[in-house]
Amino acid sequence: MSDATPRILASHLSNFQHQTVRMLGKVVQLRGDQATLDAGGNVTILLNRDSHLTVNHAAEVIGKVDGNLNVKVLASTDFGTDIDFEAANAVVEATHRYKEIFYDNQ
Amino acid sequence: MNYNAYETSYSSYGGAGGAGGGGFIPGDGSQTSPSGGKKGYAEETLRPVTIKQIQDAQQPSEDVFKIDGQSISQLTFVGQIRNISTQTTNITYKIDDGTGSIEVKLWVDQDALERPDAKREKLIENSYCRVWGKLKSYGNKKHVGAHVIRPVEDLNEISYHLLEATVVHLYFTKGPLSGSGAGTAAIAKTDAYGQQQDSYGGTSMGVGANSDELRGLPPVARRVFELMRTAPQSNEGLHQQDIATRLGLDTGVVAEAGDDLLSRGLIYTTMDDQTWAVLETE
Repeated sequence: MSDATPRILASHLSNFQHQTVRMLGKVVQLRGDQATLDAGGNVTILLNRDSHLTVNHAAEVIGKVDGNLNVKVLASTDFGTDIDFEAANAVVEATHRYKEIFYDNQ
Repeated sequence: MNYNAYETSYSSYGGAGGAGGGGFIPGDGSQTSPSGGKKGYAEETLRPVTIKQIQDAQQPSEDVFKIDGQSISQLTFVGQIRNISTQTTNITYKIDDGTGSIEVKLWVDQDALERPDAKREKLIENSYCRVWGKLKSYGNKKHVGAHVIRPVEDLNEISYHLLEATVVHLYFTKGPLSGSGAGTAAIAKTDAYGQQQDSYGGTSMGVGANSDELRGLPPVARRVFELMRTAPQSNEGLHQQDIATRLGLDTGVVAEAGDDLLSRGLIYTTMDDQTWAVLETE
């Protein structure tokens, strides 16, 4: 399905170059039009004008992984401060292990 | 409050109600639907799914959809609203959960649409929601006829839902999880969907009345006890050598397990110190 956005963590970035992905992490730094997201490791996020991220809040980012393994934001959602990252990371793990119900083979 | 509107439009919409196996609507006990009732309560299930599973669902006949070989009736899923289109008789939400997207139709009457509704006002584009509904197909395009759509308040529900959908998928494709996963023999036997939750929780040992008494025992002792409970034997019970052979364990290990079980009063010695029988509590 073309509009699927696989859920990934920092460690998966190199396998998803030039693809649209979904990452949930904690915003650790904001600097101008860039941000650092901790999603099982730090990832540089290239923001767009509609991104409203808050430091120390969780954020879900849908974006495209570029050749430098940065993620260019297409859409972002503030997930607040009560996110259980352990569960969220378990979800990522499950989606890759039991791919058949989550994503087509890429 | 919108259930009445839903019920009438439901039957007019493709008339899929009756043959699909009853008209069960959650939380709607007051209404006696002509097509519901006796038929198919046993077949009514509420299954958590991903949108990819919905899009991949097989349709062996007009009103039947299958996921993992199981007929489905009610579905529930969590996703992000991508588009909202308000029609005269329904609101169509396009929902995306990262695995795919699908249209969800919520039937509402005009009066209800004009009244302010706190819940509906929270269902805005890009917000997350949980949907309960039934899968429909119209002109080869699938959509979900929703009974209820509610906003997701705690976003951890997204993780919860995706993990729950995975567990149910694995249950149907690989069978139930057994026991506590701590190396015990497969003693949790579940055949009904309702009981499956327990065994996945990892707490149910499936040994009926004795499950409390087995709590805290080492896995080996549980295996020994389970064998003694189930293996054919005389009044004298089983000899520890015999148990060791059947379980492929060292005699010393079995002796130790026997001590644990003896000290708990679960078994007692018969012929000699090495022959044990299960102490029946009934």
